[in-house]
Amino acid sequence: MTSGRGSTQGVGENVSGESPEQEPDLVSDTVTVHEDVELERTIGLAGGLAIGIGTMIGAGIFVFPGLAAGNAGPAAALSFAIGGTIALLVALPASELATAMPRSGGGYFFVSRSMGTSYGAVVGLGLWLGLVFAAAFYLVGLGHYAAAVLAEVGIVLSVSPIIPLGLLFGVGLTALSILGTENTASLQNAVVAILLVVLTLFLTYGGLDALGLFGREAVPEALFPRGYLPVLSTAALVFTSYLGFAQVATVAGDIKQPGRNLPLAMVGSVLVVTVFYVATIFVATSAFGAAHLATLGETAMVEVAREFLGLPGAIAILFAGLLATFSSANASILSASRTVYALSRDALLPRRASEINLQYGTPHIALLAAGGPILVLVATGQVSVLAEVASFLHLIMYGLICVAVVLLRRRNPPWYDPSYRMPGVPALPVVGAIASFGLVVFMQPAAIVIGVVVIVVGYLWYRYYAGTVELKGDF
Amino acid sequence: MTDRPTILLPIRVLEGESIPEGVPELLATAHVVLLGYHVVPEQTATDQARLQFEERATNRMDQFEEMLTDAGATVERRLVFTHEAQATIDRTIYEHDCLAVLVPQATGPPDDVLVAVRGTVGVDRLVRLVSGLFADTDTSLTLFHVLDESESEADARTLLDGIADRLDANGFDADRLDVRVADSAGPMNAIVDVANEFDAVVMGESDPSVVTFVFGMRSEQVADQFLGPVLVIQRARPDAESESNETAASGSGSRE
Repeated sequence: MTSGRGSTQGVGENVSGESPEQEPDLVSDTVTVHEDVELERTIGLAGGLAIGIGTMIGAGIFVFPGLAAGNAGPAAALSFAIGGTIALLVALPASELATAMPRSGGGYFFVSRSMGTSYGAVVGLGLWLGLVFAAAFYLVGLGHYAAAVLAEVGIVLSVSPIIPLGLLFGVGLTALSILGTENTASLQNAVVAILLVVLTLFLTYGGLDALGLFGREAVPEALFPRGYLPVLSTAALVFTSYLGFAQVATVAGDIKQPGRNLPLAMVGSVLVVTVFYVATIFVATSAFGAAHLATLGETAMVEVAREFLGLPGAIAILFAGLLATFSSANASILSASRTVYALSRDALLPRRASEINLQYGTPHIALLAAGGPILVLVATGQVSVLAEVASFLHLIMYGLICVAVVLLRRRNPPWYDPSYRMPGVPALPVVGAIASFGLVVFMQPAAIVIGVVVIVVGYLWYRYYAGTVELKGDF
Repeated sequence: MTDRPTILLPIRVLEGESIPEGVPELLATAHVVLLGYHVVPEQTATDQARLQFEERATNRMDQFEEMLTDAGATVERRLVFTHEAQATIDRTIYEHDCLAVLVPQATGPPDDVLVAVRGTVGVDRLVRLVSGLFADTDTSLTLFHVLDESESEADARTLLDGIADRLDANGFDADRLDVRVADSAGPMNAIVDVANEFDAVVMGESDPSVVTFVFGMRSEQVADQFLGPVLVIQRARPDAESESNETAASGSGSRE
């Protein structure tokens, strides 16, 4: 089945006899060229930032404050700062790699091209499932918010509507992606803009209040009520909040001026959300105290807003929470489908998996491959396990991204010519790799076991299905 | 023989859109940039669509290229998968420095063409386009201008006669040329009303303030209401340095 193609093609074939697709001949600021076919790059800096921020801003602010404060007390703000720092340490090398390889597939693409197919396969399959876990987590969060809306308008149900609502939204989002939603990007931009405005207003008011400007007694509280270790385990839990910056790289093939826009979008979105997260946790814990906050669960922010601003505040945060968890889930489903496509392009999954629906122009099989498992996971309703497995799988990839930069800088292959070079090599990426792998240690055993199983299964799949495939970074 | 004007012909190559009847004849003396494009929804990677549809699209492009070259045009082709048709069209206009874009719609043999003139701006490009396309054919032209409030009919006649002289100097037979002035509240409606007597329309882009270059407001409305093909003259792109020098050179040459 293999035929003589260009020299830049990966070699080998999978069980079905498919070989990796050829790399493009030219990658410019506006276009990717394959022989005489051009692929237009259409996402600008604002679009890239919206993907990053829109994916990230859901979980950290709207689902975690109650859980995090219960684990770590007011020091949960520190947990978020640690998560943000690690994310930044990975965003820098990811940016460098993305400017050298502005192709769809994100972290999978970088690792497979710099460290070889076996690492790539493990990371790629892990990224796909990591996004599936993340999307399931966002959907459960969305279910919590939708249920809170029902409660707010006085609809009382005999069974908890959280999981059914999460499932409903999961089916809806998958169907929406398959049937072809027009203008999803501009919609995402608008959602992110609204979110940032609502949160800025809320945090400004809450922050001033917390600092005692409105004459309220601040509750004096121990910063580390349970010691230092929970700060790290909470950082591991809430790291799911920072998965979005890598999503920017999964659409790297569509980004205009990738050399400039990819680093700005990735690093910028991490900085923006870190500031928002830390401020939010600070405000939330000063409104109620960590112990009370912990009793309020996944929708604790609604009560915080009600405390400050009454019913209008609660409604605004409910609305924002719905938007945020919705856009996070949507972005994750789309990224998961992009990852399936990248894997099938490289013959690590069947070519059929990236087939496009003739009527709607959408990759229905890849989208179902994301949406199907998501529903199964949503049905479990396990917020913290889902979040940690997603974090685990991403952290492994992030650690390897850091390693990849060090390797590529040392080997310096002829094709490696990033237009953005991160500072502090090798020290910073080494710290980033240690931090990424290290954070995994602080997760709950169930998440670690599931994560390791996914990685082992991924490796076995590669050995069975595509053992002879070799992917070249040369393009 | 006048220079072949470069004209962009965008075709949605996979959605059954074809080159309509009469269009190859209309472009017979042009240098056609044949842009086959396919719009992919945002949830699909453009490369994913390329993998699946490249062959089919290339076959269609081969047919289209043949239709145009058979009629006498020279053809350069581009095949693009995109999320945003407008971005692709703009980039192509810019990269090929296209004088005009054709909104392709069916026409008979182009015997009568309406040329809507807005003002003195862009007249150089209009003359280049019209003489390049029609000087060596039997097509008759009607230069048409709609008066605005501050203009007298005499002003308009002077403007149109000036253009007619320059076309004449470029080798366009004066017998096939007509001028017409209308006094109407809306230039757009006036053009649409008159256009129905003609086989094709040539007109300028909308105001520069409007960012949509190709199907910018006014030309888009005309294209929607007029059943035949509309050629939309493009403004010179800002850094098309060499091109504007060329215009100046050929312009002064033809005025002798």
